[in-house]
Amino acid sequence: MNIDILKTRREFLRTGLLGGSLCWTLPAFLSRTMQTLHAQADGSLIQGVTGRDGNILVVLQLAGGNDGLNTVIPLGNDEYRKARPTLGIPEGSILKIDPATGLHPSLSGLASAYQDGHLAIVQGVGYPNPNRSHFRSTEIWATAVDSDKSSTTGWIGRYFDNACSGSDASVGVAMASQLPQAFSASTPKGVLYQGGGGSKKKASKKHGSNLSDSDSSTMSMEEDDAGEAGGSIGMLNGPGNLGKMSALDFLERTEMDAKVSQQEISNASAKAKNLVPFPSSRLGQNFAMVSRLIAGGMPTRIYYLSLGGFDTHTQQAGAHERLLKEMGDAVSAFLADLNAQGNLGRVTLMTFSEFGRRVKENASGGTDHGAAAPLFLAGGGIKAGLLGQMPSLAPNNLFDGDVKYNTDFRSVYATILEKHLGVKPEPILKNSFPLIHAYG
Amino acid sequence: MLSTLAASDWDRVKAGLLLQRAGFGGTPDEVDALASLSPAEAAESLLGLTKAPPLDPPSFLQEQPIGESLKNERDKMKSLSEQAKAEAKKQMFQYARANQGRQLTELRGWWLKQMAEPPRAAREKLTLFLHGHFATSFEKVRSPYLLYQQNNLFREKAYGPWSELVLGVAQDPAMLIYLDGAQNRAESPNENFARELFELFTLGEGNYTEKDIQESARAFTGWSVGTSADKKAGLQLGSRPVFKNVPKWHDPKSKTIFGASGNFDGTDVIRLALSQPAAPRWITQKLWRFYAGWPAPEPLLQELVKEWQSLKGQIRPFLMAIWTNPNFYDPVRAADRVKSPTEWLVGLCRQIGRPLPAPALSAHILNQLGQNLFEPPNVKGWDGGIAWINTATMSRRYEYGSWLVDGTQGIQKLNSLNLVRVAIESGVAGMSPPEISPEGTVLSRSGKELDPAEKSVAKEKLKELLSLPPAPVDGLATAEQRQNAEKLLAALAVRFLPGETIPRDLGQRFQQAAGESIPFTDASVRKMILSMIQSPLYQVT
Repeated sequence: MNIDILKTRREFLRTGLLGGSLCWTLPAFLSRTMQTLHAQADGSLIQGVTGRDGNILVVLQLAGGNDGLNTVIPLGNDEYRKARPTLGIPEGSILKIDPATGLHPSLSGLASAYQDGHLAIVQGVGYPNPNRSHFRSTEIWATAVDSDKSSTTGWIGRYFDNACSGSDASVGVAMASQLPQAFSASTPKGVLYQGGGGSKKKASKKHGSNLSDSDSSTMSMEEDDAGEAGGSIGMLNGPGNLGKMSALDFLERTEMDAKVSQQEISNASAKAKNLVPFPSSRLGQNFAMVSRLIAGGMPTRIYYLSLGGFDTHTQQAGAHERLLKEMGDAVSAFLADLNAQGNLGRVTLMTFSEFGRRVKENASGGTDHGAAAPLFLAGGGIKAGLLGQMPSLAPNNLFDGDVKYNTDFRSVYATILEKHLGVKPEPILKNSFPLIHAYG
Repeated sequence: MLSTLAASDWDRVKAGLLLQRAGFGGTPDEVDALASLSPAEAAESLLGLTKAPPLDPPSFLQEQPIGESLKNERDKMKSLSEQAKAEAKKQMFQYARANQGRQLTELRGWWLKQMAEPPRAAREKLTLFLHGHFATSFEKVRSPYLLYQQNNLFREKAYGPWSELVLGVAQDPAMLIYLDGAQNRAESPNENFARELFELFTLGEGNYTEKDIQESARAFTGWSVGTSADKKAGLQLGSRPVFKNVPKWHDPKSKTIFGASGNFDGTDVIRLALSQPAAPRWITQKLWRFYAGWPAPEPLLQELVKEWQSLKGQIRPFLMAIWTNPNFYDPVRAADRVKSPTEWLVGLCRQIGRPLPAPALSAHILNQLGQNLFEPPNVKGWDGGIAWINTATMSRRYEYGSWLVDGTQGIQKLNSLNLVRVAIESGVAGMSPPEISPEGTVLSRSGKELDPAEKSVAKEKLKELLSLPPAPVDGLATAEQRQNAEKLLAALAVRFLPGETIPRDLGQRFQQAAGESIPFTDASVRKMILSMIQSPLYQVT
């Protein structure tokens, strides 16, 4: 099987390769698919920027609802102490980043990124009429529509539709078991990559299946550390309309996408090495892989990772500390490696969670679903600092016990789209949102 | 009215398609049996009796509710220190969770078994449609018992009038919990159920107003769940709630819904909704799309609606009508229907003649393929069609196909099957309820971690789950068919790709897969089968 020469589907279409040696993998009945795809391929002769040399966005979803208030913590705040008698982080251990604000003690990696000038903290991010359902709120973040509306496409999918037509499916790579809903597009894009499973043992190569992602395969003999909460988050809506493709055309195309992207990924990851050590956690290893893919010249523009387990209704303290440490250590290794590879300047990392948590801790040592929360933006182009305002915790300023948002999450999206990915946000977000000053 | 296929147009190709689409596929013998009947007789024989045949419920139904089993220990908790109390609560929560997970796996395995029984297949397929249509998730309901009750409601009412089914669902405890009907009170109406009833279950977006939703939510007040409905913890610990109509929670004031005014209750809302012009269009299109795989264009949809109305919304005769309609077998559309993961798994096991993998493994496979039964992604259910397919699920279909055909000895890979879960679900660990000692310490832990001994037993169990023998293919091809690649292909195509036209070059690829050594051994036969299963064509029907 001579698939090495098929670096991308686009090249394949452009060169019209259908040599004898390819017949087995690409039978002639693909020709209908080819015709359908040809229009898209034509545009690729004037192919725009790709992840090989252009800017890249990495999205990290903290699934389950991260407790924003114990992530970015107000200092010397009586309301905080009153609301969090047992869960409050002792003032002395908070990593102070300005006179009124600090980070959770296990976020030392992020605190140094802040000092290095590569981290911005956007406070009070949310949206009007907050929804406290994991699924619905995740969907609102994914589709970027008003909380009383719905959409079959995600904001990243609309970016693909608007700015990446003619790209390979690997323009978006999700290190997950399902494509994120944010990827849903009119023209389906995005491939899944099951990242190396952290410290888990490498599996032997699989026989039989010609499509298995054998280099990444792991047998999870350890407890699944993704946590239950991540699993509670709904999966994506299906791809949108197929135009003139039949279901069989689509399947044939997906089969090819799987083969091509698998080849792209193993080529890219083989070309590059990580230059700094990464944590052995699953997230750490996924970030290590993303850094290698970027360094190896993948055309991917959007990477999507997720860390689950943030739905801390009971016994929050230890679990939250571990999760933040896993996140902070992985992110700081990622930033260091990008920097060492010379890629930090063209990468932005954005974290988000579907909601924050209730200001007042509950009776089981945990917190219930809340509303607005801070998020992190990191990368070489990011102007370090605190953006937005720390929401007031005074009971009469809360709405149903939750902090009010002051920055719409779509302002963050709009800023990334315009300032980092270089596209007009309006057609993608279907509305205009004020930009935030996140870039230098 | 829908036209009917002439008996002279009925053949094995159409019979093969029907067997796949109406149920979960089957063997060439079953195709032949259907082909020998008239189209109407074939549809009748698949549908079976109007009344649901009796079945053996899953064995966990015999267990006492988890909450009851913990009652003694909960009573002891009162005297504990705050810290010990918190620990005990945590242990009990984990114990309850672990039990729920075990029961859920049993429930999944039980349902798949029903699907794999040929006489039940059509009713179970419709039950699967209804599960996706009235999507309700374990994630919120937490009670495998209630999910079983709902599943059985679908099964029993599947063939009757649509209106009775909708009413049954509106009074179903799992649905009342899932869409918050149980919390719907006159003084604070919860619109969740009313909204989804119109948007997803009966009418579709754009066919109602926000006002209709608000007023309907008021009409549904009073429909609730047993005494423990308000206590989430009580439900999680497994009490057995039932539907309850509580008059004092009902809003008796007048409501205006779809232009009609009166002191309506839930039954009235359903009657009013189903009398909207959008109602028959919504359900007939959904049924057509589920079974045919593509949306009915307007003229056909109008015929479907007329048929539905003349049948007074009876589901069984409506299925008869669409399964015997010529459009259902449009050859241009023969490859447009993507098999759902459940159809794929049950169908493949039936075709190769092996029992379904152990429940935990089957559940894992379906989850990895995107159809976690009893945990649909959201209230919209599964989108179906091409949404089943992405680069990962496509690769996994090929990979799991190779497990099921070649067997799984030596396979080291099982992405993210949780060892603790396997241990719990197979009874290896974690299933003793926590006990509180007289000194007030919590004696047994449950559900979250494994000690080294349990871990090694669990690993063995996992290996056992994974070690499927190779598929028994000796009976799938005769000695004569094993002498010639073309004949072998013909024999296997009838079994694995019934109703599909195999392009010549694809057929050559299948033949090449079997190799050159004649007569073809079982291993060669498996290779050809695998090449068929690992093709886009196998994913459609």
